[in-house]
Amino acid sequence: MENFEFLLHGFQVVFTLENLIATLIGCLLGLIIGAMPGIGSLAGCALLLPLTYRFNPTTAIIMLGGLYYANMFGGSFSAILLNIPGDTPAIMTTLDGYPMATKKKRPGQALLTANFSSFIGGFIGMIILTFTGPALANVGLKFGPVEMTTLLLFAMTSIGWLVGENPTKGLILTLLGMLVASMGMDTLTGSPRYDFGNVYLLGGVPFTPFVIGIVGFSQVILLMEQRNTAPKLVTEKLTLRGSMITKHDVKRLALPAIRGGILGTFVGVLPGAGATAASIMSYSTQKSFKSEEPLGTGAIEGIAASESANNGAAAGAFAPLLALGIPGSGTGAVLLGGLMLWGLNPGPLLFKNSPDFAWGLIASLFIANVLALAVSWGVIPFLIKILSVPTKLLIPIITVVCIVGSYSTSNSMYGVIIMFISGVVGYIMQKFQYSYAPLLLAFVLSPMLESNMRKAFIISRGSVQIFVQKPISLVFLIAIVGIVLFPVVRYFLMRIGVIQPKTAR
Amino acid sequence: MRKGFMLIASLLAITATVPVFAQAAFAPSQNIEWIVTSSPGGGSDIYTRIISDIMTKMNLVNGKTILVTNKTDGGGEVGRLTVSRVPAGRQADHTLLTFNSGDLMPMVANTANRIENFTPIALMAVDKQLLYIGEQAKYKTFAEVIAAVKAGKNVVIAGSKGDDVATYKLLIKELGFSETQLAFITNNATSDAITSILGGHVDLVMSKPAAADQYVLAGKLTPILALSSTRFTGNLASAPTLSEVGPYKNVEYPVWRGVVGPKSMSPAAVKFWSSVFKAVSESEAWKTGYIEKYKLQPFYMDYEQAREYMTDYQADYLKSIGK
Repeated sequence: MENFEFLLHGFQVVFTLENLIATLIGCLLGLIIGAMPGIGSLAGCALLLPLTYRFNPTTAIIMLGGLYYANMFGGSFSAILLNIPGDTPAIMTTLDGYPMATKKKRPGQALLTANFSSFIGGFIGMIILTFTGPALANVGLKFGPVEMTTLLLFAMTSIGWLVGENPTKGLILTLLGMLVASMGMDTLTGSPRYDFGNVYLLGGVPFTPFVIGIVGFSQVILLMEQRNTAPKLVTEKLTLRGSMITKHDVKRLALPAIRGGILGTFVGVLPGAGATAASIMSYSTQKSFKSEEPLGTGAIEGIAASESANNGAAAGAFAPLLALGIPGSGTGAVLLGGLMLWGLNPGPLLFKNSPDFAWGLIASLFIANVLALAVSWGVIPFLIKILSVPTKLLIPIITVVCIVGSYSTSNSMYGVIIMFISGVVGYIMQKFQYSYAPLLLAFVLSPMLESNMRKAFIISRGSVQIFVQKPISLVFLIAIVGIVLFPVVRYFLMRIGVIQPKTAR
Repeated sequence: MRKGFMLIASLLAITATVPVFAQAAFAPSQNIEWIVTSSPGGGSDIYTRIISDIMTKMNLVNGKTILVTNKTDGGGEVGRLTVSRVPAGRQADHTLLTFNSGDLMPMVANTANRIENFTPIALMAVDKQLLYIGEQAKYKTFAEVIAAVKAGKNVVIAGSKGDDVATYKLLIKELGFSETQLAFITNNATSDAITSILGGHVDLVMSKPAAADQYVLAGKLTPILALSSTRFTGNLASAPTLSEVGPYKNVEYPVWRGVVGPKSMSPAAVKFWSSVFKAVSESEAWKTGYIEKYKLQPFYMDYEQAREYMTDYQADYLKSIGK
C-alpha cells in the first residue's frame, strides 16, 4: 500500500495546470508522430528534448513520457487504415487491422478496438509498475543470456502457430527472415557477414524500411494491379456513430487485451526485448487461444492481442529505467539522457533521491493513457475518411508516405532502395499466398537469439548443460518440448481412441 | 534605367560577397547532429551528453540544438560509415561523431574505413578501466579470481567493445591465462554489461569510472582491480593495481576520447568546432563535472594536433595487428 500512497503523491505533482497541459501536448504530438511511418517515438523524443530544457525536470519528463506513451496509440492508425505500421511495434496490428477495415468494412471499429486494447494493456502495465516498481525491475535482471536464449527459442517455436495451413511455406519464410537478419556485422566480434563487399550491406538490412516495404509497399503494388477492377475501399458514409463497437465486440477484445497487457508488461521489462517483440509474442500466443474468426482475416482478437501488448511493454519498460537506470529501448535512452541534462542521476538511487520525479512520471502515464484514448477517439471520424479516398489518389499518396518513412530512418536513399526491393518481394509473397508474419518474426527475434545464445555459451564454455541447470530456462525448455510434442501425442491418443478428433476449430 | 542597373549590380555584388564572409566565420545555422556509436548510459554516451550540455549552457553553438543520436548497428561501424560519407555542405558542417581509441581499433581491424575518411576536431581526455564485482559475487577480491581460474573454474568478465577488448587481452596475457579460462563477453556498451552483472549472470564487469559511478554509490558494484599503473582516487581508491595483487606487472591501456567530423567538413567549420571544444575543455563545468568526477586525465588537443595524433595511433595499431 505504501506504493499506492506514493502514486497519490505523484498525482498531486501532476495535477497542476502546467503539467496537465504538458501531458496533453505530449499526447497530441505522440499520436501524430506515431501515426507517421518511419518517425517513431525515438525521433519524437529526441526532437522534443531540447525544447524542454527550460521546463522544470518533472514537467519535461511528463511531456516526453506522454509522447512516448501516446506514440503506441498512434502507430495503429496507419497500420489499420493504410496497412503501413506507423511504428514498428504496430507490425502485428496490420495483420488483422487492415483486413478488418477494408474487407470487413469496419474501419471505425478496428481503430476503436486498437485504442481500447492499447488503453487496457497500458493500464495493466501501469498497475503492475506501480505495485511492484523496483521489484519488477529485479525480475527483469534475472533474465540473463541463458534465460533469454530459451525465452526467445520459446517465442520462435510459436512461429508454428503463425504459419497457417502450409508449414513448408512458413518454414521457408522463417529461414529467409533469419538469413536476412544475419546480414551485416556480427554483434559480438564485429566480423562482416553477407555484405557482398557493399558498405551499406555491412550495416545490415535496416528494420523499418524492410517492414514498410514488405507490409506497406507490396500493398501499393496490389492496389495498382487491381485499380480498375476493385471498387473503392469503403463506399458507405462513415460516421462516429457507425463506428461504435458493439457489446459483443467488447467481450471479444477484453480477454486477449488483458492477456496481452500482462505478457507485454513482462516482455517490456526484459533487457533489450522491447515493444515490437512483445506484440509479436502476444499475437502468436493468441493463436493458441480461441478466436471467433481465424486470425489474419480481420479478427478483433488479433488487434487486441497486439495493441495491448505493445502498450503494456511501453509501461513495463519504465521499471528498469526508473529503478536501475537501464534503458530498455532507444526511446528510454533518450529519456535517460534527459534525466542527466536536468541534473538528475538516473540509477538505482532515483526512487530514493527524487521520489517526486519518479512517481510524478508514473502518475503522468496514467493520465496520458486516458488523454490518448480520448484524443484518438475524437479523431477517428476524420481518420476513417482516408478510406474514402479514390484508389487512383491513394496509390501515389501511400507511395510517398512509404518513401518518406523509409528515407527518414537513416536519412539516405539506401533505406528507400531496401523498401522498394522488399516491397516487390512482399508482393510476390502475397501473390503466392505466403504470409509475412513468420518472416518478420524471425527477422526481429533471431538477432536477439543469436547474441544471447553466443553469450550463454561463453559463460558455460560451450556446454549445453547450463540451459537445464538454471530453473527459469529449464521451465522454458520443458514448455518448448511440450509444444513440439503436443501434436504427436494428440495424434497417438486419437489413434488409440482416447480422444475424439475435432471436426473444426 | 541606368540607376536601376547599378542597383541590381550592387545587390548582386553584395549577395556574392556574403557567402565569403559566412565561410570565413562559421557559426551553426541549423541543428547539430552528434552521433555516438555506443548505447546510452555507457561511457561514450555520458561523455557526449555532458559536452553537449556544457555547449548548450555556455551558448557556444549559436543557440542551435544538439541532437545526440546513438547508432550502435554493426558494432558502431554503420554510424561511423554514415558520418564519413556525409557529402560536403551544411549537413557536413553540422555533423559530429564521438570517436575514441576503442572506436578506431575495431574500425580499422574489421573494415576498410580509416581515420583519413574523417576530419579530426579535438581530443579531450584520457580514460582508464577498472574491474568491478556485483553484490552476489562469488569472488570478493581479484586474488580469489586468479585462484579460481587456476582451479579450473569458469570465470566470465562482461565489458564493452574496442578498448575493453584490448585491455582484456593485455590482462590475460599478463596473467598467462587463455581466453577460455578467463572469458570475456563483448556488449554494445558498458551499460549492457552492467545490466548482466546486476542480474548475477557474470562474475566481473569491466568499466570506466563514469558508467559505473551511480552503481558504486548505491553499493551495487565494488571495484576490485584498477587497470592502471597507480590506484584511482576517491571511492575507487580501495581497488589495488595488478602488481599489488601478485607477481605481475600493472596492466594499463589508456583510452583517448576525441571528436571527429565528416571528411567533407569545411575548414571554417573545423576551426569553429575545434575552438568550441577548447572552450569546453577550459570550462569549470568540464573540469569538475567530468574530469574530476569520473577520474580522467585532461588531454586537450586542437584539430591539427589531433589529426596527427590519431593518424599516428592508427599507423601503430595497424602495424601491431600486422595489417
